Formats: sequence, C-alpha cells, structure tokens
Amino acid sequence: MAEPFTAPIDNFFKPRGVAVVGASATPGSPNNQIVQFAKQMSLTGNVFPVNPRSEEIAGLTCYPDLMSIPAPVDLIVIAVGAQHSLGVARQIAQRRGEKGDAGAVAVVTAGFKEMATAEGEQLQSELIATIKASGARLIGPNCQGVADTYNGINTTFSVPPNTPQGGVSIVSQSAAFATSFLRWARDQRLVGVNKFVSLGNMADLDFRDMLAYMGDDEKTKVIAMYMEGIGDARGLIDIAASVTRRKPIVVIKGGKTSLGTNVAQSHTASIAGNNDIYDGAFRQAGVIRAQSVAEFYHTARVFDKMPLPKGNRIAILTVVGGPSTICVDELVSTGEVSLAHFSEELKLEAAKYLVASANIGSPDGYIDMTASVNPKMHTDVLKLLMNDDGIDGIIFMTTPPGFIKDDELAAAIVEGYNSVPDEKKKPLLSVMLAGNAVARCRTLLEEQGLPTFEFPDDAARVMVNMVRYSEYRRRND
Amino acid sequence: MDCRKIITSSIAAGDAVVPELEAQQICRAYNISCPATVLATGKAECIAAAQSMGYPVVIKIFSRQIVHKSDVGGVITGIASAGELDQAYDRMMANIAKNSPGAEIGGVIVQKQMPKGVEVVVGGLRNDQFGPVVMFGMGGIYVEVFKDVSFRLAPLDKDEALRQVRETRVFKLLQGVRGEQPCDIDALCDVIVNTGRLLAEYPEIAELDFNPVFCYPDGCTVVDARLVLKST
Repeated sequence: MAEPFTAPIDNFFKPRGVAVVGASATPGSPNNQIVQFAKQMSLTGNVFPVNPRSEEIAGLTCYPDLMSIPAPVDLIVIAVGAQHSLGVARQIAQRRGEKGDAGAVAVVTAGFKEMATAEGEQLQSELIATIKASGARLIGPNCQGVADTYNGINTTFSVPPNTPQGGVSIVSQSAAFATSFLRWARDQRLVGVNKFVSLGNMADLDFRDMLAYMGDDEKTKVIAMYMEGIGDARGLIDIAASVTRRKPIVVIKGGKTSLGTNVAQSHTASIAGNNDIYDGAFRQAGVIRAQSVAEFYHTARVFDKMPLPKGNRIAILTVVGGPSTICVDELVSTGEVSLAHFSEELKLEAAKYLVASANIGSPDGYIDMTASVNPKMHTDVLKLLMNDDGIDGIIFMTTPPGFIKDDELAAAIVEGYNSVPDEKKKPLLSVMLAGNAVARCRTLLEEQGLPTFEFPDDAARVMVNMVRYSEYRRRND
Repeated sequence: MDCRKIITSSIAAGDAVVPELEAQQICRAYNISCPATVLATGKAECIAAAQSMGYPVVIKIFSRQIVHKSDVGGVITGIASAGELDQAYDRMMANIAKNSPGAEIGGVIVQKQMPKGVEVVVGGLRNDQFGPVVMFGMGGIYVEVFKDVSFRLAPLDKDEALRQVRETRVFKLLQGVRGEQPCDIDALCDVIVNTGRLLAEYPEIAELDFNPVFCYPDGCTVVDARLVLKST
C-alpha cells in the first residue's frame, strides 16, 4: 500500500461523489432524510446510499458496501451506530488504499466521547486513529457534517435543501443552533448561505482548520461561528486574526459562566475567567462577539449584504419617535458610534421634501419625517443622506402607515439606496416595526439585498458591530 | 543580577513568589518603574538610605520566615523624618521579637513612600488555553469586587494596550475628573506592553500582580510587585 497522503479539506465541499453509509429506506427516519436532502441538493447526482439490506433508497441505487461503489466517492457520511463505525472506517482505509478517493469523512453518529464513558472515548480514539492512518480527514463525530449551497452538498438531515445562496458560511459546534437559524431565515429571505459546517466533537477538524479554509474560500464573505470552547484557544485566535484582515468573523459563545474552583495566588489569576479572556482576545483579533442570538444572526447576515461604514457617523431616519429613542440609546451606548452632523445645506434640502412639522436635525443626525409621509419622501430624503459624505451609515425606522402599499414603500427605499454608485454606498438598515403586517415589505427589501429588522435595538447593535469591525480593518490595512 | 538568574535562583530556593527586592530588579530590567528601595542591615544604614532617597519612607522587615509582614508588625508606613525612623525601627524589632521570635532577620527594607495616584492594576498569567495573558483594570484592594478589568493576549503593542485601557471604567479617572490633571496614559501603556513582554519571555512566571500601580500626570510606579512562579 502506498504511503497515505493527507486529503485536502476541499473533499468535503467539492466531492465528486457522496456516499451515505447506513442509509435507511424508511421514510421519515434521519438516515433516509440525509439521502433525500443529499439527492435534492446534489448538482451531479452522484449520491450513493450504502446499506446491505436495501437495493434502492430514495430512487437511488443502494450499494452493499463502500468498495462496490463504481464511481469516485470523495465524501463519506458515516451514519451507522457508533459500534459499527469502526468497521466503516476500515472500509474507508481500504478504499483509500485501492482507489485513492474517500478523503473526507463526516461522522453523523453520536455515542462517542460526548457520552463521557470509557467505551465512548475508546471508540472515538480507535475511529480517529483508523481514519487518520488512511490520510482522510474527519468532521465529528456527533455532528451533521457539511452543506454547500453552491456545490450542491448536504450531509445533514436538517439544513433545508432550498436554503438561499449567499456569502455567509456557518461553523457551529451545535448543528441544532445553526440549522434553526436557517429555518427561521428561509421564508423571509433573510440570509444567504454558502457553507455550513457542524463540527460536533471536533476529534479531527476543528475551528482552526475551518477558519483557515473559509478564510481562503472566495465565496465566503462572512464567517459565523457558534462555539463553546476549544483546547488551543491561542491557535484559534492567531488564525482568526489573519482571517479578519480579509473578512469578518462573528462569534457567539456558549459557556460563559465558570463553575471551576480557583487556586490563584494573585488577584489577576483569581479574576481571569476564560470567558473574560475570550472577550479581550476576540477584540484583539478583530472578531465580533455577539451577546445575543438575534445580534449574532443579524450581524452575520448584514455583513454579507451591506458595505462596511467608512466611519462612525450614523444618521437616523424615522417615522416613529419612541422606537427611535431606543435605537439611539443603544447606538451611542458603547461610545464607539455617534450621530452624524447635518450641514445647513442638508437640512434646508430635506425641509423641501418633507412636511412642515417634520423634525430635521434635533438632535443633530436625526430626521423624523412624521406619519405624514408618502413613498417619494422616503426616496428623496434617502438620496440626500446616501449622497452626504458626512454620514457613514443610516438606520431607517417605520411602522408603515396603512395608506402606503408594501411594494411602493419597498421600491422607494430601494430607489433611495441605489441612487448612488457602489463606491459611495453605505450601510442602510431598515427597521420594520409591524410584525407580520409588513412581512411582504420586508421580503421585498431582503430580496433586493437590503437588510430589515423587527426591532430598533437589534439594528443599532449591528451598526455598532459594523463600525467596530470597520475601524479594525482601517487600522490593519 | 539579571532576570534569568533571579528566577533560576528563586526556583532553586523553592520560592513560590519572587522576593520583593528581586521582583523590583526584574521590573527595572523591563523598564517598569518601582519606588527607590534599599535593603539595610542596621538602624544607621536605614537612616542613611532614607536620607538619600528622601522622606517619607516605609520600612518592611526582611526575613525568609515571615511571609505576611504586616500581620507581625513588620511594616511601618508614613515615616517623615530621621527621628521617626529611629523610633519606628525599634518598634518594629520589638514587634518581630514578640510575634516571630524564631525568625532570622535578613535586614530591613527601606522604601520611598510614593504619593497617592490613580490606582490601577496590571497583571498577567499563563492560561492553559491562551498562553500568556495580560490584565489591566482598576487597582487597589477592591479589584476582585468590581472586576473592572480587560484582558489581552501577550505580547501586545502599545496601540493595543491603549485600546485595552480604554475598555475599562477606570480609564475615565485616568483622563482626569473635576479639573484633575490627566494621568500619563502613555507611560501606563508602556508598563502594560513591558509586562506582556516579561510574561512572554519567562514561561516560569505563572502569575503576576502589579497592584497597585500609582498613575501620575508624569509617569507611573508599581508600588507592589508580586511575581508567582510555576510550581514544578
């Protein structure tokens, strides 16, 4: 047997074929769903169920074992019970030795180290040893593997095959956390996804490998990570720091509290919990850390859709007073963002378009158009704000009045935003405070690439994150 | 004596914490300013040392057997003249004879008493997952209560240290409030950077605390330096 060479990670995302070992013919079971999704999303159709007890699954020819698949197979999904996984690993090693493919392995099965039993640990280490000796790479175990909307790959039973394409790649220690995002976002077209990786136990590939890979991946514009912890946090931060010079990384971290005991001899060591060190290290590396799930979701998707602000001067355009107060409070609370300064010309110009009772510039950087608005006013004022070089970003807030139609309002906002050439564009975040009553307006805007929000404070937090990251990029350029 | 020798001999002596005088020598080697400090072996030497550094001074007992000096009356502060020092010296010797009769007295440390400044803490530790980490925050005895601190991985540069300082609430105090002069934040950032360098260059140091560091409009001084070595 030739010396095994370590397979590139590309095998997970651009495989010539995908085998699902442990595929099930029972509709409604996870192991049937994996095959269905893999088939529905596949661009090549090279999906191969493996199960000695079936001849056909989901309309695909089923093979008794890995060796009997006649076509090249780069990605193997292990979906058999934990105690049978070692046997599959040996088949992978054999196939690698004889055919040279089978370089990527996603172990969907649970029942390994996460059980915290000697048996689970033993199984995991034997599995990894066998896979590694063959030169293949492994994601998991206890994960859902990968999905790639551009290359038509899906090893999961929960990432919807009709997930919209886009620039966000998700790397998550928990599959459930990430897939719930995709399901939530799908109908309103909130997020466009490139790659999805569920890391599980990280027995081989971990956050460091995935960050390095996504950092070089052209179609990935933003990396969104849900993490709980990693042994080599320094290594992770070093890689993150090199990636954030090219593209944003947004993180939400579980496990903030520490239940550990402390035997420190200094004040420093008694205070320093890992969570606080993560805070500092993420800031140092330009990683944006979200404090809530909503902030995480929105920040990641807005980074994909909007340009970075060139500075920290933000204008507020609103039709509603109360929510704007909440928004401004949140916006300026960290001290990193301020309201823009309006020139006299801008104020005079805006007054021409609006009703006499409109509030222009009190406070500075703030325009309340009042409820006496029509779609044209939205376009005219947005054009003005988009054109002004003293403004680096805009938050727009409305509870759309019943007399303005969803599509008219959406078109007016889109026209205002697109009135300047791309190099002059700045982030515009639209807050639509009316729940399902404005679902259509939101969807229309999202389809045009303009991000929308339900709540004003969420929009403010995303804007702060964009300003923070933009500042990091400017000082590292 | 260089830092390497100090650390090696501290480890050889079985010290978990580097003795104060040596800790100060390490600080000075890293351009981290400490108050003038002299080890004197008798009363006359004490007075001469205080004379040359100027009053007020602090005296501390120097003995390997005494870990918690203030508990046994081994620290006397605010000594303003030679006359006061004369009496303080005798008082301290009486305290020690009474409270720690068996202790071998290596001498008395005479230290320039620093005027109050804004109290901050600069600390460091070696974390299993992150390696060398530097802490900055509000100093003094309440540091663990208020936890007004921020962290950075070491080594770090001065711009990063400044961002670290800005993340804390004590930063507002350093900028000067109610007509106070602002503190020398530049000098403080140098201390943070140099602390990071020290920690990164000596893996034998497990934890360190400079608390308090007094910040003044012109410079800052580490009043108490505690270097904890890795237990092997």
